[in-house]
Amino acid sequence: MLIFLTRRIIYTLPIMLGVAIVCFALVHISPGDPLVSILPPDASVELQNQMMAIYGFDRPYPEQFLRWLGRAVQGDLGNSIASGRPVTSEVFNAVGNTLILAACATIIGFTLGGLFGFVAGFFRDSWIDKLASVISVIGVSVPHYWLGMVLVIIFSVELAWLPATGAGPGGSSAWEWDWIYIRHLILPAVTMSVIPMGIVARTVRALVADILQQEYVTGLRAKGLLDRGVLKHIIKNAAPTALAVMGLQMGYLMGGSILVETVFSWPGTGYLLGQAIFQRDLPLLQGTILVLAMFFVVLNLLVDVAQTALDPRLQRG
Amino acid sequence: MAVAATDINGLPTRDKSPSYWASVGKRFLKDKVAVGAGCVALTMVLMAVFAPWVAPADPLDGSMMDRLSPIGSEGYILGADELGRDMLSRLIYGGRLSLFMGVTPVLVAFFVGSAIGVTAGFAGGWVNTITMRVLDVFYAFPSVLLAIAISGALGAGIVNGLLSLTVVFIPPIARVAESVTTSVRKLEYIEAARASGASGLRIVKAHVLGNVLGPIFVYATSLISVSMILAAGLSFLGLGVSPPNAEWGLMLNTLRNAIYVQPWLAALPGVAIFITSISFNMLSDGLRSAMDVKA
Amino acid sequence: MTPPILTAAGLVKHFRAGGMGAKRKVVRAVDGVTFDLAPGETLGVVGESGCGKSTMARLVVQLLSPDTGTVKFQGRSVGADMSLTEFRRQVQMVFQDSYASLNPRMTMIDAIAFGPMVHGVSKRDAERKAGDLLERVGLEPNRFGARYPHELSGGQRQRVNIARALAFDPQVLVLDEAVSALDKSVEAQVLNLLMDLRRERGLSYVFISHDLNVVRHIADRVMVMYLGEIAEIGPTRSLYTAPRHPYTKALLAAMPSLDPDNRTEVAPLAGDPPNPIDPPPGCRFHTRCALAFGPCSLTKPATLVVGAGHLAACHLNARKGEAA
Repeated sequence: MLIFLTRRIIYTLPIMLGVAIVCFALVHISPGDPLVSILPPDASVELQNQMMAIYGFDRPYPEQFLRWLGRAVQGDLGNSIASGRPVTSEVFNAVGNTLILAACATIIGFTLGGLFGFVAGFFRDSWIDKLASVISVIGVSVPHYWLGMVLVIIFSVELAWLPATGAGPGGSSAWEWDWIYIRHLILPAVTMSVIPMGIVARTVRALVADILQQEYVTGLRAKGLLDRGVLKHIIKNAAPTALAVMGLQMGYLMGGSILVETVFSWPGTGYLLGQAIFQRDLPLLQGTILVLAMFFVVLNLLVDVAQTALDPRLQRG
Repeated sequence: MAVAATDINGLPTRDKSPSYWASVGKRFLKDKVAVGAGCVALTMVLMAVFAPWVAPADPLDGSMMDRLSPIGSEGYILGADELGRDMLSRLIYGGRLSLFMGVTPVLVAFFVGSAIGVTAGFAGGWVNTITMRVLDVFYAFPSVLLAIAISGALGAGIVNGLLSLTVVFIPPIARVAESVTTSVRKLEYIEAARASGASGLRIVKAHVLGNVLGPIFVYATSLISVSMILAAGLSFLGLGVSPPNAEWGLMLNTLRNAIYVQPWLAALPGVAIFITSISFNMLSDGLRSAMDVKA
Repeated sequence: MTPPILTAAGLVKHFRAGGMGAKRKVVRAVDGVTFDLAPGETLGVVGESGCGKSTMARLVVQLLSPDTGTVKFQGRSVGADMSLTEFRRQVQMVFQDSYASLNPRMTMIDAIAFGPMVHGVSKRDAERKAGDLLERVGLEPNRFGARYPHELSGGQRQRVNIARALAFDPQVLVLDEAVSALDKSVEAQVLNLLMDLRRERGLSYVFISHDLNVVRHIADRVMVMYLGEIAEIGPTRSLYTAPRHPYTKALLAAMPSLDPDNRTEVAPLAGDPPNPIDPPPGCRFHTRCALAFGPCSLTKPATLVVGAGHLAACHLNARKGEAA
């Protein structure tokens, strides 16, 4: 197990390096002088010289990369052009909000999706199954940002039950688990939950149907060890894969929250990215992406390790 | 070669069996849902292609007096947008860019990704390892994030949008290609082909591609709907297509503030995306089912 | 004595099987195999799973390259005195899995014609030849030529595989369990076909099988392999009636027999075939050998001549006056 763990970590390191290289390259594929891209248009000459000294834009690329990486590892991702504040602090303020949103969306999506999928797999080829499969196809095909808009139309504009934007009266930095705040969370979380819901439903359905079909389960059912035992058995076998899918989905939501957060003006990392794009704020863009991507890589690693710990059959490196 | 033979009783024996794709086609046509979805998808495509003949008005021509006319108003069957342009025409014309931005990246990624994946899969060894590791780096990004990262860095514009989407779709296609090729490579008929003295390239052309491109293609079609949604999403954020072009994602963006005034009008572009996306999805599913059964 | 048509000398093939550094594991699939094949002869190769028969077959046909050792065709070393392309025209292989041996998207005519076309034959000539070969193996070209593998039965597919191998006009065929996956009645038909073809075309066969009955029927000489090495090799009759290696004896005793007076009551071989990763020291068979004694666990037995053209690697044969 330890060997597997070290092997897996060693495998991840070049990936992380690759991710860092891609993020580094972002500033350089942007049209124009990279120095200009990372500074506000009215930056003073001294500031420009300072940046030049730190990042070395006139040096060969490998050296530039190492300089940038060195600072990044220490937590310095430059300053946002728009706000002037360090990117790192902006990102970490926002991350918490996105985490709340992603976690709720994952739980909702997973619960509902799991339920649909389980029922569909259990009653294969019945009308429940067909309905569940329709819902899951819809879940995968619907543009979730549009769904968000539709929900806003229904619940905010027409019915005025829930607010359309924002994360509550405290702005982006205050959050409490209190109805005043939670009512802001409902619509975005439900919107985002649709994505994992479709996938989880499909996965769970396939798993359940597959397990039920295996001969020893048919044997169990034939012997009359009906439902409760079979249920437990199914859950035990399906759990590792299902958990893995859930973990990964949450990662996707964290990384892909930009569209929903933009619709609802939810002050998370996605919203931050949207702002960065709108304002051509390259340091903020680059830094946010780096943090999100690294988070996703680490999450993948954790899910992999957890899955293997739960199901030793997967341990073959 | 294909001379009709007769059996003992003088009855003609069938001497040519249907090719693989013909039997796939037959099975596909039996699936009513898939055929229905295919028709819808085809309709959307045709409407987009023949937009100038189908649309009632000029999509760029707006009359500020009629701005945000509701659905069903006089002269504007589906209403008018925030600059007074006819929604129906904008939607029809919008299909052109939306479909183009959805299909093109997948198409390009299909060719590039297949080439990379089949090569890596067939070559094996360190070529395979290095190629797949590099692809893994791109795989490490959630697709939305990668698309936005590249697009955001390059700036708005159709070409930049296409470029970033293509880059997003190459790794998954290459992965599928590599996986299918690797499993085919182990089969005995490839060994027999090698034993015949054929060069690697010849074996790939004659034996591998025919067996591999089918599954890769079906996988690629399942990506079309994702690509459309992503492309529209880029425009929604201000990347990709820029005004005054008609494109569904961009229209959702510009109509956002109108949801308080004409909510259902503002939702229309999304309906178009949804219908197209779901029909392509079901079409792709149907195709996969038709190919799945080993005849 | 006519020179052998095929010679394999000292073939060795090891595969890496994971582990790092000191713990590196090596699968010694083939560990020093040497044999000759005379023109027109059929050499049967028998042994349990894991003994290296299939790997050896692939080494002979040059689908794998040996770590050490050479393969010579008519005395010419492949690669050095003879090009690989020419070798491929002379030595061909028929595989076990009749379905996986054929490209599911290719018609039978195309599958057979592919080989000659690689070697420069025109498409038309190749297709005509393919049609002739289909006919020769008992499949009417008009009925079967345009069909796909899934439309043929196992026996029919194997006939196609044989036709495909013959399309090169080879002199040697290596048949790797070519009839093992067929039903008995079909197996008999295909074997008869092989024997007819052998006579008509003067072919030499290397016939690999785990079925001793079949091998007895078709082979002139038999080679018994165990864990990557040759245990015994000799003319069919003498090997079957007077085997000189305990493993051969055990294999023969384990053959199912329909004779009620000849029932197998005690399993002649103890245990499962050991792992080619960690072969026992000394004689590799000693852990399962009922006749093992002193030197067996210490030194490797030399391959000794025990009869005309009959060799065995067992310490028992070195003892004078002791019946093995």
